Amino acid sequence: MSSCGNPNAEADALMTRRPKYDRSKACVKCKSKTGNIVIRHAVYCKDCFFPLISLRFRRTLEPHVNPTLDLHRRKGLKASGNLLIGFSGGLGSTVLLDLVQKTYLAPRERQDGDQNPNGGCPWPKVVVAHIDTSSVLTEVQGESCRIRGVVESYGAVFEYLPLRLEDAFDQKWWRSVGGPDFVHPTGLDIINEDMFLKLLSSNRTSPSSALNAYIASLPTQTAVASGIQALVRVLLLYTAVSTHASHLLLGTSLTSLSISLISSISQGGGYSIKEEAQEEWSDNNEDGTDRTVRLVRPLREVGTKECTLWAWWNDLTVIGKHRYSGGRQDISALTRDFIVGLEKDYPSTVSAIARTCNKLTTKESTNTKCLFCERPVQSGIQEWKHKISIRSYRDLGPDIMSPPHMNLEGGSSGDSRPTHTGPVASNLCYACHTTWTSRSIRGNAASQNDIPIPVWVASRSDHHNDLRNGRKVEENDLQYLIKDFLLDSGS
Amino acid sequence: MAPKLCVLCETAKAMLRRPKTGQQICRDCFFYVFETEVHNTIVEAKLFKSGDSVAIGASGGKDSTVLAYVMKTLNERYKYGLELFLLSIDEGITGYRDDSLETVKRNQQQYDMPLKILSYDELYGWTMDAIVAQVGRKNNCTFCGVFRRQALDRGAAMLGVDHIVTGHNADDIAETILMNIMRGDIARLGRCTAICTQGEDTIKRSKPFKYAYEKEIVMYAYFKKLDYFSTECIYSPDAYRGHARAFLKDLEAARPSAIIDIIHSGEAFEVKEEVKATQHVQQTCQRCGYMSSNPLCKACTLLEGLERGSAESGLTERARKKLEAEGPTPENIRTIPFFNKTPSGNPGLSIAVEIPA
Repeated sequence: MSSCGNPNAEADALMTRRPKYDRSKACVKCKSKTGNIVIRHAVYCKDCFFPLISLRFRRTLEPHVNPTLDLHRRKGLKASGNLLIGFSGGLGSTVLLDLVQKTYLAPRERQDGDQNPNGGCPWPKVVVAHIDTSSVLTEVQGESCRIRGVVESYGAVFEYLPLRLEDAFDQKWWRSVGGPDFVHPTGLDIINEDMFLKLLSSNRTSPSSALNAYIASLPTQTAVASGIQALVRVLLLYTAVSTHASHLLLGTSLTSLSISLISSISQGGGYSIKEEAQEEWSDNNEDGTDRTVRLVRPLREVGTKECTLWAWWNDLTVIGKHRYSGGRQDISALTRDFIVGLEKDYPSTVSAIARTCNKLTTKESTNTKCLFCERPVQSGIQEWKHKISIRSYRDLGPDIMSPPHMNLEGGSSGDSRPTHTGPVASNLCYACHTTWTSRSIRGNAASQNDIPIPVWVASRSDHHNDLRNGRKVEENDLQYLIKDFLLDSGS
Repeated sequence: MAPKLCVLCETAKAMLRRPKTGQQICRDCFFYVFETEVHNTIVEAKLFKSGDSVAIGASGGKDSTVLAYVMKTLNERYKYGLELFLLSIDEGITGYRDDSLETVKRNQQQYDMPLKILSYDELYGWTMDAIVAQVGRKNNCTFCGVFRRQALDRGAAMLGVDHIVTGHNADDIAETILMNIMRGDIARLGRCTAICTQGEDTIKRSKPFKYAYEKEIVMYAYFKKLDYFSTECIYSPDAYRGHARAFLKDLEAARPSAIIDIIHSGEAFEVKEEVKATQHVQQTCQRCGYMSSNPLCKACTLLEGLERGSAESGLTERARKKLEAEGPTPENIRTIPFFNKTPSGNPGLSIAVEIPA
């Protein structure tokens, strides 16, 4: 029900309900059969539904299969490497797997206007990777076997590759994907807005306990959800490189894309708005060559409703995607509830969000990649944060009048914490820096140290010593770290 | 247990938790950082130059009341050299605007600033009460928003000022970013994060509270004991904005930095060049001379609909075509006086300004 006011008190408060479909119940495509599904006010029959979804899938994916965009129409589809599909077992990735199999791996008759006239699969090998998140999500324990079963039900067309979320903290996995060795165990220290990496005395923790310590150190429920999401994404990207994949496909539907766009914007990820829909990610190899992976979301024009119908009519097994949810304290979960709820009253909202964001670009380009999420880092983030919210009187510019109620001249007053911007903060994107430093209203501004870091961060810090903070720890810093435990500030 | 000390000055007792940063600080430090951040915003965006005449859009509500107070404080503290005015628009909403205007009149005395009140009735020949009587409550916010924007510009031109500052706060801007994304309004999305907007022939308009949280504005007004009017507009139910606002409040509750994070996102992206090329070119309204992206500006379109008894024609394409089919615009309908902003800012129409006693 759409409402502009209180229908009990005002006669004209209710909007007229818009009919579910525009004209008649006949399919808008074949115009003869009675429709079975309404997609954004247009009616389709079951027979016309399958080619419609298949076409949307190919129309989104195929222009990005060949290394350069202008090749695909003239010479057919030929990718420069293998294909990696990220498979969670949820609705989107189940439909994606089915569409890839039906479109490129099953013998079929050619169709008019097919963008792949040579037929066959554009990728020499198709690998399906599943990341087991049972270390942090107890609900998914035991699902890996079922997920393997779904992949193997397609026969030998897919190669199954199981991964674990804790691989992000495992040097063995890092070496297996071709990551450079690193010898110095490194941890992350956070003093409010300041972050620095430092050498740890030992590296005895198992990947699983490192992952749990990492998750436990994230300051908000929102940070936990986005932290897990970032680990999954980067694990898949490095896995794609190690399997010589030129493409990584994810089963993000139109609905999921709109949710992640709004969620990302709400967490300060506006600079990565392009990457939310599609990204070109490069890994700098040890030999100096770049290995590039194109991350494509071929279902980004297919809504959840259409995915559900595809799965239902094709009798697909959907294991069910269990994602982390921090409830009312988690921005991703709040956004999901909001968009799904809004879609009922304003059905075009989901596609409007994706279409609007597709018309946006970033204001400036950059070559710096975020240490944690490996997405572009905008310049001047820390300066911007300092200007719009004063967190210490040491951040005040020379032209600013001192607080009239105190004397800052003698240096006896003011926040004692160090206010320099360390090399870690300047190598983080806005969203990742905020993930680590923004706290909920109930949270304490507690400092944390020795937080385990993902292997790609440790590797970069090992090869770029300037990222590690080798400065002598000042007395003020130490005092700040332990100040919550001091009973008397003079002690 | 010893009282918690302010994390900024470390001498006074912490009195509040800052909504924007979560820091526990004392009252004096709160006043200081709030005012200094507004000053930083003004200086960073180079909003004013010495000698500028600036009208403060004053509704009597918390935002504009705090804005008037802070502008006066900063103007004196940092010697901006601004001549400040209060400019109010009387939409003609009985039981709401008439009461809030009383607050503005008191502010005029308290802050010692000249006040100009311009009414919809005076400018358009219609009050909001009369508009709601014709269009109902569903779309009245569209009429009010369009008419107010133009009324502010015209009021500012009458005052001969160079600049209008409004009390839009960080929550308003974050909400607008979300709304424009959700309804696909790419033109507004492109400009809603700009701190200052100015058309070729319109008066500069800016938002010094762009990074100020609504909660902190309320806190500031509360601790300073400022005199403001705090009732929601009786015609305000804008369902879509209501959804966006409720969502934003949920986000803020989950993570208070969400408001500023959304603004940062909005500042980080822009509309692609190829999309900008397809947007309407700015022109002037053939009828009233105000800026417009069509031959007739939105205010003239809406006013013509009201005058001809077809208010819907300014809102839907179907109703507009129906009205066009009824024939050309009659000559006897009321129209908006021609807007001809001269460099001095005086459009030739002068109305007496109330000077504080």
